[in-house]
Amino acid sequence: MFFHDLKYMLLSGFRVKSFLFWLMLFPILLGTLFKVAFGNVYENDVLFRSIPTAVVETSDNAVFHQVIDSLEEEDEPLLAVEYTDEDNAMQLLKEGKVSGIIYVGDKLSLSVTEQKMDQVILKTFVEQYGVNEKIIKDTAEKDPSKIQAVVDKLSEDVSACNDIPMTHGDPDIYVQYFYNLIAMVAMYGPVTGLHITVQNQANLSALGARKNCSPTPKSVSMLADLAGSYIMQSACMILCVTFTHFVLKIDFGDRLPLVYVAAVLGGILGVSFGFFFGSVNRFSFEAKIGIVMAVSMFSCFLSGLMMGQMKGIIAEHIPWLNKINPATVVADSLFSLNMYSDYSRFISRIITMLIITAVCTAAGIIVTRRKKYADL
Amino acid sequence: MANTVVKINNLAKRYGELIALDHFSLDIKEGEVFGLLGPNGSGKTTTINCLLSLLAFDKGDIEVFGKEMTPTAYDIKKEIGVIMQNVAVYDELTVSENIDYFCGLYITDKEERRKCVEDAIKFVGLEDFRKFYPKKLSGGLLRRLNIACGIAHKPKLIILDEPTVAVDPQSRNNILEGIQELNKQGATIIYTSHYMEEVEQICTRIAIMDKGRKIAEGTKDELKRMIHNTETVNIEILNVSEDIIREISALPHVYQADHDGEKLTVYCSGGKHNLIRILDVLQKHDMAFGRVYSELPTLNDVFLEITGKALRDKED
Repeated sequence: MFFHDLKYMLLSGFRVKSFLFWLMLFPILLGTLFKVAFGNVYENDVLFRSIPTAVVETSDNAVFHQVIDSLEEEDEPLLAVEYTDEDNAMQLLKEGKVSGIIYVGDKLSLSVTEQKMDQVILKTFVEQYGVNEKIIKDTAEKDPSKIQAVVDKLSEDVSACNDIPMTHGDPDIYVQYFYNLIAMVAMYGPVTGLHITVQNQANLSALGARKNCSPTPKSVSMLADLAGSYIMQSACMILCVTFTHFVLKIDFGDRLPLVYVAAVLGGILGVSFGFFFGSVNRFSFEAKIGIVMAVSMFSCFLSGLMMGQMKGIIAEHIPWLNKINPATVVADSLFSLNMYSDYSRFISRIITMLIITAVCTAAGIIVTRRKKYADL
Repeated sequence: MANTVVKINNLAKRYGELIALDHFSLDIKEGEVFGLLGPNGSGKTTTINCLLSLLAFDKGDIEVFGKEMTPTAYDIKKEIGVIMQNVAVYDELTVSENIDYFCGLYITDKEERRKCVEDAIKFVGLEDFRKFYPKKLSGGLLRRLNIACGIAHKPKLIILDEPTVAVDPQSRNNILEGIQELNKQGATIIYTSHYMEEVEQICTRIAIMDKGRKIAEGTKDELKRMIHNTETVNIEILNVSEDIIREISALPHVYQADHDGEKLTVYCSGGKHNLIRILDVLQKHDMAFGRVYSELPTLNDVFLEITGKALRDKED
């Protein structure tokens, strides 16, 4: 009976158009929108890339060569230099293949055709180089013994701010949008879970009444429907993560399998939460749907999916709420993958998800099985 | 003597201050088509829901097939088929998938189930609609699917709760014929309705309900014998004087005569040739009249005489 029920649960579930739209198509559309809206901003304004630069040498300048060579040894070099002649350099500049041309002679000069971020950086670099070169030349003329001390001082990274890393991970704000998207899909799960109670309770639907008249125990029927809903929700979560990573090319790093695990468990938690909510009250179906949507959205709000500071505010004033709020737990499990190099926080959130899922499922079944209704 | 299939004893159910069932008792024997007849709100559906152990009740006992009926009485539930007032099918499953799904809640053997599903489809005449989704079916076909889902597992007891509500006359006849066929095949039927014609047509025994109480029970002939009225004579006639009405009322076996301006209605109790005697009075006074017809008592008359009100609301 369990597998019979499960088979038809899946068959009917995957034919529900609203399910296909909201849990499969909508996240794809929203993810694509995120990519289009934020991707360019991120790549242009946030993500650093070496500035393509043409260098035209009008006279030999060994020092400049040394400086460029030392820059290129860094992980993310400031300049991607191409030594060439003037004609070719002009051609590259016209074609937009380089952001500017640095002429190396007695002094450095810069030629650009626009005034964007790359050109500002090039201008700063050329000016700084000129200042430093003059300091070194002046020192060589006045007191050559101090040259090394001056070079060392110029090489120091002077900053008024002191960076103190809070984590050992690689925080990436852009990826956080997509973690939030995954958490949002998980929070659609309560609606799927709610349908299980509606279709199994005689006081909520004619289908529930008919199923309650059958010799299939209610607990078996509900477990089969729960299993079906878990499978359906998990499929949606896997689709969302797969599309985000492989189609939108969002980099989840080397923790992709764990993102899948967190996403699937988040989806299952969502379904169980809806199942529990549908079981424990006597509201009409329409009221249940309205309330569960409101609760899900409020849960998302408290987790910071809509307002980033919210999670911090809750952590400051009602810290225990963050530990049991389903949306916070799901989002935080993904967030911890992004933020922390060790897995303790991630594992803690996964265990919390498992506990909430187990409690909601067990409570829902206990409350509804063997139930006679006061009115139908 | 036939075995008792359903025994309800002193069933009482309240919804707050409203008494839905007032010490209601019933015995239904094997092979009967038992009709529960009553106006809307009389307690028919409440009785069925209590019988199916869906609804909690305040007092009383219910036995089905000689065993106490409880929500976990799965061996009893296996032998019951239910067709509810509201259509209960999955919109996303086809006709044959729906029947297979509900049949599968009762029968685990695939081969046996396949045969049952096929039989049910043929029984309700949905052979040409196997792959149709419920939303593509007309109201009558949808009701047939609803019935097929309830009877596919070949139950011994079939409960039909107002299955013909909002059904066209042709589909209604098909459904009623189907119920009689199921009874011929050996099933005991419980049929609730507020359509007295349906109950008269198919039920072998009838209980009439009002305000949660059983006000009469028996075969349709037994019920009709319980009342005073044996014949109602209707004559289309204008301008009948009070004297003539009094003269007709004084005839033997006539106990009441009313004129509404267009029709004279004469109620008779027993006796023969009532119609001839009434027409003789009218001819004696040289009264012209139109259509004349005589009606035997209906279950509505039974209900009317016992409760003082009509069985069905005018809008029904």
